[in-house]
Amino acid sequence: MEIQIDAQKCTACMACEMACGYHRDDGFALLSACIVAYRTKEKKDYFGVILKLEEDLLVARPEGTEIKRIGEEEDTSDSAKPADASAKPMLLREACDLCAEMDLGPLCVKFCPVDAITVA
Amino acid sequence: MEYLSTDKVLVVDLDKSEVIEDELSDDLVNEKIGGAAINKYLYEQHVDGDPVVIGTGLLTGTLFPASSASVITAKSPATGLVCHCPVTLKVGLEIQYAGFDYIVIKGKSQAPSFLWIHDGVADISDASDVWGKDVWETTAAWRQAMGDDLIQTLVIGPAGEKGSDLAQICCNFWASGDRWGFGKCLGSKNLKGLAFRGMGLLEIADAEEFVELSLDVLEEVKESAFVGRQGIGDMAEALGESGFKEWLAPVVHRHSACYNTPYPTNTFAFLSEDPQKMEEPQNEEPGFLITDLFGLIGFKKAGFDVKDACELLKVCARYGIDAAGVAEQSLAAGKTSIAAVREGLTEFTGDVTRPGKGIFSPWCPNQPIFGEFDAADTDVEAWWERRMAVAYIFGIHPIFAVMSPEIVEDDLVEIAAIGTELEISQEILDDVVAYLTG
Amino acid sequence: MKIHAPVENHYTANNAGLVSGERPCMADSFQKRSFEKAFAGSRPLKYPHIGVYAGTGTSHSWLWFIDIFDRMGFHAVSILDEFDVMAGRLDTLDVLAVSGGDTMAIAEALGPIGAQQVAAFISSGGVYLGSCAGAYLVMNSSKPHLCDFNFAAVKITNLSKHLPSCRGMGHKFSMAYGCDYIFHPVREAVGLRLSGNSPFKGEPSFRAPLYGGPGMRVTQGAQVLARYDCFTDKTLFLVEKQLAHETLINTAAAVRVRKGDGCIYLFGPHFEHPHFLQANRLVAEAIYWDLRPKPAAKRPWSEGIKPLSTRDSSMLLLTLKRELSNSRIVATGLEMLPVKWQIGAKIYEPEKLRVFLESMWRRLKPLEKNDRLFVAAETSQTLMADAAETTALLRRLKSDIDLGKDTRLLAGRLIHLLHRYSMSFLELYFRCVWQIGQSGEQIELPKCPR
Repeated sequence: MEIQIDAQKCTACMACEMACGYHRDDGFALLSACIVAYRTKEKKDYFGVILKLEEDLLVARPEGTEIKRIGEEEDTSDSAKPADASAKPMLLREACDLCAEMDLGPLCVKFCPVDAITVA
Repeated sequence: MEYLSTDKVLVVDLDKSEVIEDELSDDLVNEKIGGAAINKYLYEQHVDGDPVVIGTGLLTGTLFPASSASVITAKSPATGLVCHCPVTLKVGLEIQYAGFDYIVIKGKSQAPSFLWIHDGVADISDASDVWGKDVWETTAAWRQAMGDDLIQTLVIGPAGEKGSDLAQICCNFWASGDRWGFGKCLGSKNLKGLAFRGMGLLEIADAEEFVELSLDVLEEVKESAFVGRQGIGDMAEALGESGFKEWLAPVVHRHSACYNTPYPTNTFAFLSEDPQKMEEPQNEEPGFLITDLFGLIGFKKAGFDVKDACELLKVCARYGIDAAGVAEQSLAAGKTSIAAVREGLTEFTGDVTRPGKGIFSPWCPNQPIFGEFDAADTDVEAWWERRMAVAYIFGIHPIFAVMSPEIVEDDLVEIAAIGTELEISQEILDDVVAYLTG
Repeated sequence: MKIHAPVENHYTANNAGLVSGERPCMADSFQKRSFEKAFAGSRPLKYPHIGVYAGTGTSHSWLWFIDIFDRMGFHAVSILDEFDVMAGRLDTLDVLAVSGGDTMAIAEALGPIGAQQVAAFISSGGVYLGSCAGAYLVMNSSKPHLCDFNFAAVKITNLSKHLPSCRGMGHKFSMAYGCDYIFHPVREAVGLRLSGNSPFKGEPSFRAPLYGGPGMRVTQGAQVLARYDCFTDKTLFLVEKQLAHETLINTAAAVRVRKGDGCIYLFGPHFEHPHFLQANRLVAEAIYWDLRPKPAAKRPWSEGIKPLSTRDSSMLLLTLKRELSNSRIVATGLEMLPVKWQIGAKIYEPEKLRVFLESMWRRLKPLEKNDRLFVAAETSQTLMADAAETTALLRRLKSDIDLGKDTRLLAGRLIHLLHRYSMSFLELYFRCVWQIGQSGEQIELPKCPR
């Protein structure tokens, strides 16, 4: 089961972000949400959704979806380059767990008013 | 006030350059619930300081559908009445999470200032570098200075600084629900505006119940009459502006919603890029976000083509002036070009049509849109005033409130009680509505 | 974010009792481990003074130690860098906790003088808790810098002359170790099993996360406290499963080694990770079990430091709150940007900046309840300056990223500053919480990550 996002249906309302934040924090807050409305290009009307997965980001842009390795700009599979043996997760935004503990299932899916987020 | 609240009221005395924090008492919320009603109460408490009060609705920033609105309350320089306007987009939300439920601004600053409100900290900051700049330049400057593109702003432009009765407090780069000339109120205080950012948390008394009830309401809302429609065009057609959607179509890029609002009430018009293109535009300013339905309708009626009409909305937003008022007076004055309107910006007066009793902003249409409301059939004016009062108390997007009969008072009262553990009842709501509507 | 009450309350209550003068004892067997009065075979408990190492080479996982100590009521905490160690500050401590990072860089920064200090600390009765890099640090080795720290005859099982083929996450798979390689067969939660040796008693199966730590093989003189038992549904394999199995399963995951009058605990996985409560409990058990009645340690943070005036305390708190908020706002905005910085052997992502800021931010509230803060005036000034500089650097970083500039040097400067700033802040925090605890007041602890 995985989350799918149709960025063209998205209206950037942030309901998903708040729903996920509620799942993480048992209160209304946005800081811990693993799904985030991308909305920093306000004057350009360019917006979408970013979902944090285990090691990747699912970036749902209006022109299409891509998966990006978190923090990477370029390929670092070169073994001659010293690796980061101490790479530990941040514990700040956890990866999506599909709201495994919740009876309602993925809350972002439930609270999206335009059904831009679905589960496949 | 433990739940759904930051429990803080900020009082800013610009005369003394002082900020004071007060607690928000349960008693006050029990009596006045929230939003415009508590704003009004605080206004009356501080009336000697000619205050401008910014407050959040009881449900603002929660998961209840359309809980996007905060409220500004002040005495309108245009009408002389104490009245209210909504703050939506993501600004209303950010006010809630920036750390204060209510902000009272009184007195006058000696030098141009702005308020930087963040995580429960209120800084009176120097605005001399942006005084004289337009709304766009100011928002961009503050975001750049504070290092975050998600900072939300309430800003005045030159209209507010120069004391126009049509001066608007704008939201980020865009027109707002301010039809009362509140921009002049801030300008007269030497206050360029407010910037908000916060990462707070609202506790909920019975979280599971609250969320389940919100979801139930959302499920009903998703069956509503507005489903399948979006943006400014569909709203205008529903108000009887025949052919409006077709007129607007050539510039429509996307529609976007205010926080957690199921209907996207805002439409972005691309004026210098192909609106069909979904990739990120090269142009930094490809167009304008239309948030003001009557501003656009007004310029259309004044004879402008769609691109010029949208361009004029942008001119008004940058200048920080009520576009609907400008459009009305442009039509009356026979101004038929962008240049003519732009040159005459300083001449527009506050004497424009404002439907309603002068309490709630006529930025929101004063009739049902898409949906059917029984009470509206009987007495649409009374229905609208009450609907606005309820929306402004709980922090519901006013336009959505006239769109969705599925948002009912019973649910609002019930969820408010569930979320706060206070004894909020229909009787109390009736009293508060009466207090607001006089 | 919840505090898990039952585990924390148990240790918090016990520690509160110790602070107020109670002298419970800890038994050897599982049935009698609820701190009853002295009897044959029991050990008297004392309240430990703990040092958390945050010097050059450490990553951010020392903050996990901070979180669990805070949550469990261990509030006599100092935070040390290599200069503190070399200057002899370990004399004031009962416990030294060293978490993850770049092992070589940690060893190099401490140098022979630091190594001697650590050795003397342990031999005179101190408890050393080494997790991940902190474990590698004190294992016998001939490698440069590491050879100064030969305190534990424990062999690394994930060490190889030739790198096995990597199945994924190449950037987190290995590190050079002289002419050899340390490779990491798996990451994330692994299943562990207690060996039944004191003090690790109780529920035999539990989990802890592995992020580059060692599998271990012990020789005589060392005790295996827990072994790698199985992999979990969360385990990520970086090599073929068969190789991962051979490298780790049944090897030691937690080891206890006596050294002089003191004791060394080596953890391969991060037992201090705040999400793994049973493992956290074992850290507390280790501390209680091996505390020796050393001469009463000096309490450097309460001696000679007078509280600031109410006005200055208020000013300090307001400044810290303002600047932490300003900094967090920028740092949060950087989070999802496709940028990273390689600083030394470590890769930093923007989210890492927030880790330090959040650790401080959520500890402001308990400080706000104190109207007078125990901090030297000079330290207060430095804290305020560091707070403001952090905001300024973050804003510059954001601006430079937007302009497409190379931000590696700026990021390095910022991370160094964040280490210093957070060390100083957290010392202040623990000092204040200690003072509150001494007065018998209830402390409202920060909401640590669940």
